[in-house]
Amino acid sequence: MVEPPLPVRWALRAVAVGYVFFLVAWPVSLVAEHTFDDGLTTFTETLQDQYVQRALLLTAEIALWAVVINLVFGVTISLLLVRHEFPGKRVLSALVDLPMSVSPVVVGLALLLVYNGRTGWFGPTLESAGLQVIFSSPGMIMATCFVALPLVIREVVPVLTELGDDQEQAARSLGATGRQTFWRITLPSIKWAVVYGVVLSLARSLGEFGAVKIVSGNFTGETQTATLVVEQKYQNFEQAAAYSTAFILAAIAVICIVVVSLLRPKESHA
Amino acid sequence: MSIEINNVTKTWGDFVALDDVTVSLPTGQLTALLGPSGGGKSTLLRVIAGLETADTGTVSIEGVDATGLPAQKRNVGFVFQHYAVFKHMTVAKNVAFGLEIRKKPKEQVAARVEELLKLVHLSQFGHRLPAQLSGGQRQRMALARALAVEPSVLLLDEPFGALDAKVRKELRDWLRRLHDEVPVTTVFVTHDQEEAMEVADEIVVINEGRVEQVGTPDELYETPANDFVMSFLGDVTQIAGVSLRPHDVDVSTTPILAGSTEGTISRLLKVGFEVRLNVLTVAGDDVHVVLSRAEARSLDLREGSTVWVTAAPGAAVVPSMRFAG
Repeated sequence: MVEPPLPVRWALRAVAVGYVFFLVAWPVSLVAEHTFDDGLTTFTETLQDQYVQRALLLTAEIALWAVVINLVFGVTISLLLVRHEFPGKRVLSALVDLPMSVSPVVVGLALLLVYNGRTGWFGPTLESAGLQVIFSSPGMIMATCFVALPLVIREVVPVLTELGDDQEQAARSLGATGRQTFWRITLPSIKWAVVYGVVLSLARSLGEFGAVKIVSGNFTGETQTATLVVEQKYQNFEQAAAYSTAFILAAIAVICIVVVSLLRPKESHA
Repeated sequence: MSIEINNVTKTWGDFVALDDVTVSLPTGQLTALLGPSGGGKSTLLRVIAGLETADTGTVSIEGVDATGLPAQKRNVGFVFQHYAVFKHMTVAKNVAFGLEIRKKPKEQVAARVEELLKLVHLSQFGHRLPAQLSGGQRQRMALARALAVEPSVLLLDEPFGALDAKVRKELRDWLRRLHDEVPVTTVFVTHDQEEAMEVADEIVVINEGRVEQVGTPDELYETPANDFVMSFLGDVTQIAGVSLRPHDVDVSTTPILAGSTEGTISRLLKVGFEVRLNVLTVAGDDVHVVLSRAEARSLDLREGSTVWVTAAPGAAVVPSMRFAG
């Protein structure tokens, strides 16, 4: 590669750093600054607010479920897309990317149309069977799964493709069943892609707002997640509480990314 | 006969990889499947291993019909061109894989792994990861891994194809010695005729999905069934409608040889111990001839000389396809 002259290099660096600083680093750091304006007082008070506690727990619960479900389906769909030929494969591959491009609000409305207990297409049937989806955890988990769907798949698919199926064929010829091949050969080979996908999914699930807002009904203390609390507190002029909750969400996301970047370099040695 | 392949056909869309192939591969021998790239030899090997299923036809291994058996139940060892090592496992773990799958006792596995690593000269490398080995070492590890499960047949798909020339040569000598030590029925695919001639007891020549000829290296070289086999196993030239080896052409400066054809030396090249001639005959053939320096000197050959060429007595000769078809 041809090196550009020194002043150009410095200018490019300044633009890149400046862009990220003004768009990401500075605004996020301001959230932290506002949270700790008065030391730990507001922060601890916010943490003791039972509605905030409830919302954080609910967010954690939904994010965990969504991540587990997406992990299982994500790895399965990835294997299907890379290792098998079947009619409709390209359609499936395109559908997997849909959540990237569709607004979460649309996702929420779509789920509402299908699963709401009174006029939904499938909702009344489920409700008579005792399963309430909309305005309840199942709907919120579904909405979160939907928006985070591509994250595991798009991490795992390229790794599986690059890996090829030589090792799997070797394992089969040595007597391994499909299940043994998956656990002993395939999964260890893609584990870092899976870990990365899971962390991205977790971060995305914790931060989901639009789809969850619609399907949850946003009932304070019941179906309100952390992001919904942030919005409500902010609109009720409890800015300090909003910033504190927002800070927790941001902190978890940052920790996720730090953990991954600490783990990731080991990949090349493994 | 150890491996019986009967009327096997395999197509990919409208490409015919194997066209009604019937062949028997003998027990305890080292057999080469030889042919040009894309000729179907790897497909045949993968059909034997169960990594591909034939469209029609049957495969039996050691008298057992294996046609419908999945790869993991055929008890074959398979060695891949690009090694297919388990990257996340140590060398010892790689070799132990098949034994651990079979739930063999730990001590037994450890003993067997040690024995195999010794056999492939990798005893000191057991604790290393495959990434820390050279290509040749990786392929030896893959061989030990395949041998660990005591397969009834060992199948190797272009095993030395990804290695450089020197390592390739070493490994094929080594494979030959290994086979003499551990006489498991072995089939390997190669497109290198020298490799096949050097290593194999028997060669199956495959081209365009069909078996062209089966025989020992000598038989194939001396009595090739057709022009293709002859040209695949060595240099070939044509005189008056027959194909033969350039060193089997007799040259004289007078028309004393029966049935000889007159021509002019258009090119004379001295390379090492041999002299290569191009003789343009009156019939329009461009005949390649290889002589020793002594022969060329005694005939006093130069570019432009008029000579008479014919097949030497006892030369391997087949009708030339260029004339037949």
